[in-house]
Amino acid sequence: MVDSSNAPATASSSGEAVHGKVRAEPVWKAGGLDPMPIRKLPEAPPSIHLLGPTVFLVALGVGMGESYMWPRLVLVFGPEIRWLFLIGVTLQAVVMLEMARYAMATGESIFSGAARVFKPIMWFFFITAILVYIWPGHLSAGAAAFEEITGIPWVVTACVGLVLVGIVFSLARVIYNLLENLLAVLIGVLVIGTAVIASLVGSWADLGSTLAGMFHFGYFPSEALSPTWFPILVGSIAFAGPSGMQQMWYTLHLRDSGAGMGAHVPQIRGLRHAGKEEEMPARGFMFDTSDADEMKKWKGWRRWVTWDAMLLFWGITMLVTISFTVLAQAAARENPDVKTLIEGGDRDAALSAMSDSFAAVGGSVLGSLFFGFIALIGLNATLGLFDSFSRGQADMTYFFVPGAKRFKMSHLYAGFLWGVITFGILILLFGPADGPSGVLDTLAFLSTFAMGAYCVVLLLVNNRMLPKPIRPRWWTNMIIGFGAVFYLGMLFFSLFKFGVVVS
Amino acid sequence: MSNGKRLLELVLPGALTGFAAGVVAGGLAAVVGQPAGWALATMLTLGIPLAVFGGGYSWLLATGRVRLGGFAPAALYWLVAFPVARLLHEAMVHLVLGGGFTLPDDILGFLAYQGIVSAGFAIGFLWLHERLAPRWWTRVGPNNPEAAAAVDRYLAHARTIRRRA
Repeated sequence: MVDSSNAPATASSSGEAVHGKVRAEPVWKAGGLDPMPIRKLPEAPPSIHLLGPTVFLVALGVGMGESYMWPRLVLVFGPEIRWLFLIGVTLQAVVMLEMARYAMATGESIFSGAARVFKPIMWFFFITAILVYIWPGHLSAGAAAFEEITGIPWVVTACVGLVLVGIVFSLARVIYNLLENLLAVLIGVLVIGTAVIASLVGSWADLGSTLAGMFHFGYFPSEALSPTWFPILVGSIAFAGPSGMQQMWYTLHLRDSGAGMGAHVPQIRGLRHAGKEEEMPARGFMFDTSDADEMKKWKGWRRWVTWDAMLLFWGITMLVTISFTVLAQAAARENPDVKTLIEGGDRDAALSAMSDSFAAVGGSVLGSLFFGFIALIGLNATLGLFDSFSRGQADMTYFFVPGAKRFKMSHLYAGFLWGVITFGILILLFGPADGPSGVLDTLAFLSTFAMGAYCVVLLLVNNRMLPKPIRPRWWTNMIIGFGAVFYLGMLFFSLFKFGVVVS
Repeated sequence: MSNGKRLLELVLPGALTGFAAGVVAGGLAAVVGQPAGWALATMLTLGIPLAVFGGGYSWLLATGRVRLGGFAPAALYWLVAFPVARLLHEAMVHLVLGGGFTLPDDILGFLAYQGIVSAGFAIGFLWLHERLAPRWWTRVGPNNPEAAAAVDRYLAHARTIRRRA
């Protein structure tokens, strides 16, 4: 396709190969932005390289949905409701693979891909990210769990945590390497620990019913269609695995980890080492998809990311949710009050009751351990979220705000990071942590809407901005298309039928 | 360097990862001031068997008896090792705390449940082990031929995959 010996192709809005008339280097022209120069695709790592950027997605994705929302639905509707979780997480695994397709083929973020299709789409995500993610409410669950263990007020922990995150990310030489190492250890401990705890308190019957429940396709009790529960169910499906814009940020981590053509783009450095950052290219790159050797390497990269998606992302998300569901069932059996509290929807009271019931079974250590893991999940999510938000906003600002290229990407990253930290501390001290109550519904709506929107963006970007040989297959397009209908359909059904957005 | 020290260096990544799992269960208790008896007993009676089995996995990997980095061998290994470690823990923790030697009531159901949970444990174990082992063996390799050979196998494996890709 992109061979300078071919006749020049006619430019159009969809991707195509062109080259200049006078010995210009071969390029891939895609959409309305600068064409991408052709470079060599690096070799894919062997699959034994277990850790990839998926570590970020796992850190972001394994949160309250897995540890609280789904266990709650299981207690209310029975384990059979979990087939919806299976669909939600599997859909997210396919989304992850498709996000990776564009990022690995071009070294660009999905935001740049969206801008190639139509710039306002990218600005929509830029504004949505600010509206949804600047509120520090997500810190509260982890910090509150830490308060249960240590007695330190959660606002203090949250503020100190925010400043520490800022300092660590500012001092790091290469932020990606630091964060990957840190999150890898934390998640490793979380996975091992969750398995051990589940082995201590769970039973064969709990696990059996939880697993069997995943295959009750079509189970939908009539109460689930009530105005109370349907929005919660929609929210829980949207929050199965990474939610909101987290999948889009994953493309930035892929690029920074040097996956595929990301190897041609420099890494973001901490503020202290920003001076050493290499020049950021104005656009991504493409490899020669007409070269059989290059296509072999591409298949190697696809195998690598599929391994990452299926075992690490899908496997760990499933494991943590199954374990926490087993824990919730065990807790409810020991103490019927737990079931009432969980069903009632008071998250803090429910988590506290679950902890108490574990303490009653296995000694008070189990109660503290439970909170320890909730705190760990909160820490993982916070580290990932602050980094990802700053990365995404810096990326869009650098490439698309006029004059922003005067700064280094690392400076913009630091600006957004400290901006969101400062705002977070001010809000924690003086304002509503989740955001003003008047806009909470709007924020919840935007977060879910973004997920349906990125499915549409993926279809457009991967099918129009990439060369034909590396475009998705028809069945992948069907799944992503189903995702768009699934997220947007449920969101609008909930809105029009019950007048409520997701909860 | 003695054979014993070399073996210890070889098995350290797995032993450390296994023991960490026991420490996760027992150690946090000590930190937050929970009853020291239960915490310490769990740390030891679960941590030590998991450390021994974890070290065993490192040894199998380093000596080429198990495929590098593969999930299936780790899952099969822990399918047996994890339930045994938990059974030892259940029996010993009561013994240590003065309750006598007792086994779970439904021992087959207990082992089956632990076997299923072991798949999750295997993912976490492999995740941490593959992070620790190649770095540690590279570090001790100059004075430890088996560790150096293990690192060579990682490199050779990577080259094979690269040729295939």
